[in-house]
Parts: sequence; C-alpha cells; structure tokens
Amino acid sequence: MGYLGGSTADVYSFAVYYFFWVAITVFAFGTAYRLAKMVLLWRRVVKAEPRNRGVGAWIIGLVRTFVDPIIFSMKAKPHDFLAGLVALHIVGVLPLIFLLAHHVAFFAYWFAPYKLVAETGLWIPLSVTTSTLTITSPIEVKFVNSIWGPLTVILNGDVLAILAILGVAFKIGTKVMEQAHGLRHVRWSDYFSLGLLMFILLTGYAAARHSTGTVTMDVGTYRTVLGFHILGAEILLMLIPFSKYWHFVFGYWYGKLHEWYDLRVQKGLV
Amino acid sequence: MAEAAPGPDVRKLLEEIKRNISWEGFQADRVEKTIQEALATLDSVKLHFLENCVGCAACAPSCPYYYVSEKYGPVEKAELARNIYRKEATILGKLLGPLLNAKKPKSEKDLDTIVEAVYRCTNCGACYVSCPFGIDSGAIIKSILASIATKSGRAPTLIAVFDVIEREKLFLKIPSFMYIWNEVMKKAEQALGKPLPFDKKGAEYFLLVNMADAMFYPDAVIGAMRVLDRAGVDWTLPSKPFAFRPPIAAVIGLFKQAREMLKMLNADISKYEPKNVVLLDGGFVYPWLRFQMPKVLGRRPSYRVLHIVELFEKLIKEGKLKLNQTDDKVTWHDPCQLARRGGVTEEPNFVLSAASKGFRKLPHHGAESYCCGGGGGIGCMNMEMLEQMGKLLGVSSKDLVAGEKELEFIQKTAEHWTIAVKRKIDDIKKSGADIVVTACPVCMHSIAGGAQLYGLKTQVRHIAAYIGERLQ
Repeated sequence: MGYLGGSTADVYSFAVYYFFWVAITVFAFGTAYRLAKMVLLWRRVVKAEPRNRGVGAWIIGLVRTFVDPIIFSMKAKPHDFLAGLVALHIVGVLPLIFLLAHHVAFFAYWFAPYKLVAETGLWIPLSVTTSTLTITSPIEVKFVNSIWGPLTVILNGDVLAILAILGVAFKIGTKVMEQAHGLRHVRWSDYFSLGLLMFILLTGYAAARHSTGTVTMDVGTYRTVLGFHILGAEILLMLIPFSKYWHFVFGYWYGKLHEWYDLRVQKGLV
Repeated sequence: MAEAAPGPDVRKLLEEIKRNISWEGFQADRVEKTIQEALATLDSVKLHFLENCVGCAACAPSCPYYYVSEKYGPVEKAELARNIYRKEATILGKLLGPLLNAKKPKSEKDLDTIVEAVYRCTNCGACYVSCPFGIDSGAIIKSILASIATKSGRAPTLIAVFDVIEREKLFLKIPSFMYIWNEVMKKAEQALGKPLPFDKKGAEYFLLVNMADAMFYPDAVIGAMRVLDRAGVDWTLPSKPFAFRPPIAAVIGLFKQAREMLKMLNADISKYEPKNVVLLDGGFVYPWLRFQMPKVLGRRPSYRVLHIVELFEKLIKEGKLKLNQTDDKVTWHDPCQLARRGGVTEEPNFVLSAASKGFRKLPHHGAESYCCGGGGGIGCMNMEMLEQMGKLLGVSSKDLVAGEKELEFIQKTAEHWTIAVKRKIDDIKKSGADIVVTACPVCMHSIAGGAQLYGLKTQVRHIAAYIGERLQ
C-alpha cells in the first residue's frame, strides 16, 4: 500500500519503498569495490627523510592545499569559478542536498546523528515566504525558524535551486563548447551525469512549487513529480561510485590529503 | 669545446639506438606489450590520478603549453592515459567503450598523438597544485604515456643516446666529454690555487659533479668548489664523472633503466662513504636522488642528499659562508623539480637576500612558479642542441634524429617552446631583475633563449656561480 492512499505501482511508492533499497545496495557495493581497488593497489615503499618545516608549515600547507586551486581558478577561469564552484557547488547543490529542510528531515529519519542539523536549526527553509515544510510532507515537522534569520531572503531552497540549475546548465554548455573545440576529455557520460542532476533539480523544484497559490498540482501529479525526483536521486546514488560523482565521497578528500602529505609534509613545499 | 671524430663506441651506440627507434608506422604487438607493462606499474596513487579526474579542466591554464593550444592542457594530455586505463582495466570501460572515452591507440596517428602529449609536458607539477582534486596529470603523462611512446619506438634519439651513454658509462670513453671534464677540473684547481680533494673517503660533503654539470655550467662547478674550500668544510668530489645526468632514462619513461642507474650510482657514491651528497643540478636529478632513491633501494641511503643551495643556506647560518652583499637587481627562478617537486623554495630566497640587497622574488614564485617550458626532454628538442651534441660526439646533427618525421617533430616542438616560454619571460620582465639566478641547466638554457627571443636583457646564472663570485 502506498502512502496517502497511493498505489504501490506509482512512481513515488516505487521510489520510496522499493527502489530505495536497490539504490543503497548498489551504492554500497560500488563503494566497497572502489575502496577495495585502492587498498589492493597500495604499495609499501621506503620514503625519503621528510624535510622538517615544522607543524606550523604543515597546517598552513594543509590550508593552501585546499585553497590554492580555488584562488587559481578565481584568477585564471573566473566564469568557471562563479558558475562551477560558487553557483553549482558552494551555494547550489551542496547546501541543497545536505541542508534543505526536506532533506534534513529525510536524512535525520535514516541516520539519527543527522538530527543534530535539525536541532541546531542549520536547515535551510524551502522558500523565502515559509520556513515550514510543505503540508504534503510525510515527516512530522518539529523544527521551524532556522538560524539563518533575514538571510533566508537569499538562503532558501528556491534561490539555491535556481543557482544550482544555472550552474548545471553552465557546465552542460561548457561541455558542449569543449567538445565543439575537439577537446578529448569530454565524455558522453558527462552529459548523462549532468543531465541526471538537472532532472533531479527540475523535478525537485517543481515538486516543491506544487502550489503557487493560483495553480495547484493535483495529488497524483505531485506524487509523480516527487517520485521522479526521488527516483532520479536514487539513480544518482547508484551512479556515484561508478562516475565522476565519486569525487565528493572519496576522490576529493583522498586527492587533497595525498597532495598535502606528498608535497607539503614529505617534501616541505611552503 | 673540442670537436671529436666518432669513435667505434659512438658508431655502435648510434646503430643500436636506431634499431630500436621507429618514428614511422604502428606495430600493434609492440604497442600492446608496452600498454600492459605500463599498467602493471599501477599503484593506489596512480589509480587516483587515473580515476578521479572530473574533467573540470581547472588545471589547464597552469600549463605552459596550454598557451600554445588548449588541446595541450594537462587534462587533455592525461586523458590519453585515462582512455587506455578505462579500456584495459575497468569493467564499464570494456562494456561501454566510447561512452566513457575508453579506447586504446590503434593507428600511427594515435601513437603520434601520445608522443605529442609527452613532449608538450614538462612534468613541472603546476597542474598538480592547481587541480582541485590533487591529481598529478604530469606524473601520468611522463610515466604511463612516455613509457608507451618510448617502448613503442617513439623516443627522441638524442635523449635515448644520452641514456645509453650514461648507463654504459660511455662518457668515459668519449674523448670530447673527458676533455671538457678535465678542462673544468684544471680551471677549478687554478681558481682554488691547490689540488682538488678528489675521491676522499668519509668526507662530510661529497660534491656530486655529473657530466652535464661540467658541460652546461662549468662556472657553477668552480663556484661551488670555491665556496666549499673557503667555508673550510671537509669535502670531496669524484675524479671521474659517475653519470651524465642521472637518471636520464626517466626523462623518456624508461623507469626500469632509471632504477638500475640509481642503484649503480648509489654503489659508486657509497664506496666513498660520504655523510652528505651535494648536487648542483636542480632539475629532475634532485627529486630522483632525494626522494626516489630510497624507494628504488628499498632503504634510505647511508648519506643525505642536498642541493647546493641548501648547503649554502646552512653555511651562511653557521657563519661559515660570508658574502659581499651587492645591490644587484637579482631574482630567483624556481626550477620546477627543485621547488614544486623537491620542496626547496625558502632556501634560495635566504641565500640571495644575503648576497644582494636588490634581491626580489618573481611575481610567481615557489609553488606558483611559472615553468620555463623546457623540461621533460623538450629542452633537447631543438636544432642548436642537436648540432652541439653532434659536434661533441663527432657526428652530424642528422645522425641524432631517426628521420624526417622526428626532425619535423623536433622543429615543431621548438616552435611551440617559443610560445610556452613567453609567460616566464614576462614574469621576469615584471620583476625588473637584471640577473636571473637558478639551478637547472634546462631552465638556464630556456630562460636565456626566451630572453633573447623576447628582447629581455638579462643574465642567467647558476646559483653556485653567482655565490662563488661574491665570497668575502
């Protein structure tokens, strides 16, 4: 039996009650596979005596390892910096995924420690006009009035979703341009990955805006749109270990920490 | 430099090299074998470099050859290695092929593209520090792709010749090489006014003068000896060179040979039981001896490896090296292998500040230093170098190329270098320096050539030559 009287055969119920577990299983398998490859290929080597610049240099080096590429990108490719890093990542997708009130409620339901985000009020409201979850949310709402205060004028799901959509559109446009220039690093799978992200953002936005005050989706349509949104997110979850999205789970953190150790700690680059 | 007639060793060497080099055609079996050998060297770090690139191309503007063409951005060049990796070593790559850019070289054109990528990369490491994911594209271009290119026959003949000369110690049998060596040592003795302390056992500092040091900056060799002598430290040097520019095999991706060379070099050095080995070469020689040697030997060597600028810093701090401070408008160019890949960034600033009140850093220095565009074997790919080396070996410059195709490739590479070096020259212009001091023979050659090309009047000096002339 689906929720709110829906059929188990509809997209929403399929995504929430059945496919969810498939997605989690594939993600877990893929993650284990990727990590196992790294572990199995690890080789013990004798390292040279590290150059001792002191702990202060290590800490500054750690900060620089993460910050230098951002500064470089800001100077060398300002359009990429604004659309790719700022719009898509920093104010777009990341807060939307991890801080949007709906998602906080969802994550807190499955992962108890995440309740901390809910309880500290770090969650971001859906829109500038309401800080509550929508009435159709199946999750009981216990937390309202986020800590963002007047910032909610810009720090809300509507604005962030629009920025994220613009960021993804820019990245798709960039890929098209790069491919037209004959650059070989563009993969057809990039379009799938970015297209899927765009689909998730658009369906999520549409579901959240199910009522404009004058036009309201009927429950069936709403459940279908939300179902597609959740299904898209589950496909993305399955795709993470096998695609460029792995960067956010593992690649980015491993890469920067390895670079820090290699260049700043071992070689003493300051 | 003396001209030499080609001895039987040189003739035999050239014939042997040319049998293995083929710039034309595509031997599928040979390429396949090289791919398997290259992928057999994968470890978790290389796996990260191959698997975690998201294609953001943030690295692109960091590369000096990106300014020649956007197709030479690091992400573009490294993608060729990723293509092969995905096709050969991933399930999805095998299944979905073109959708994931999973493919192997299948034609002469494909192999030529790989060779072009290898010799449009200086392995300067700028892509490594500018990558948001810590991916060292240069490392996989200069290891996986270079290894595939060379073992498939596409190696610059001149570097392949140097590699064999080094590993078989043929320089000891080539009269023009030994003439240069002996002349430098003679001049050094005159400068010091006493016999050189050759081949002492157990010395505190072993000045490892290689053949290339004596050839490219004899004044630096003499300058270093003057400093060591004046500082009153216990030092020695080899009476005959141990190597040409070790391990030169690494420049063309022959890592097994590079490791053999390092083992041989370590054996030669260890006989003298030095406490410290001091290098003049701030190019690839430094990171290989300082950081790769323990990996190759499976243990840390019995001596520490220092660059001469590190020793200068130490001697100044200990009060053993006193300099006449000048007002020279002098700057330091960080060789990529000494700075970004070797971590020596602070020491040159300290030393040059002690030498001149007019010392200034370049606008881009240290980890952010602009590459000179000549590393990774590119510095050997021009007619001037071919002619000079031909004279030394007693052969024509044409004998040092495998044919028209290699010659055209060399000429195209040299043209592209003229664009790649410009960013460095502009940076030097902005600094207002009259003297550029550095420590890598390729950087010296590249900056001097670039300065001439773009009308910048500047001297380019090795740090040991510069400091050796400013002793109190």
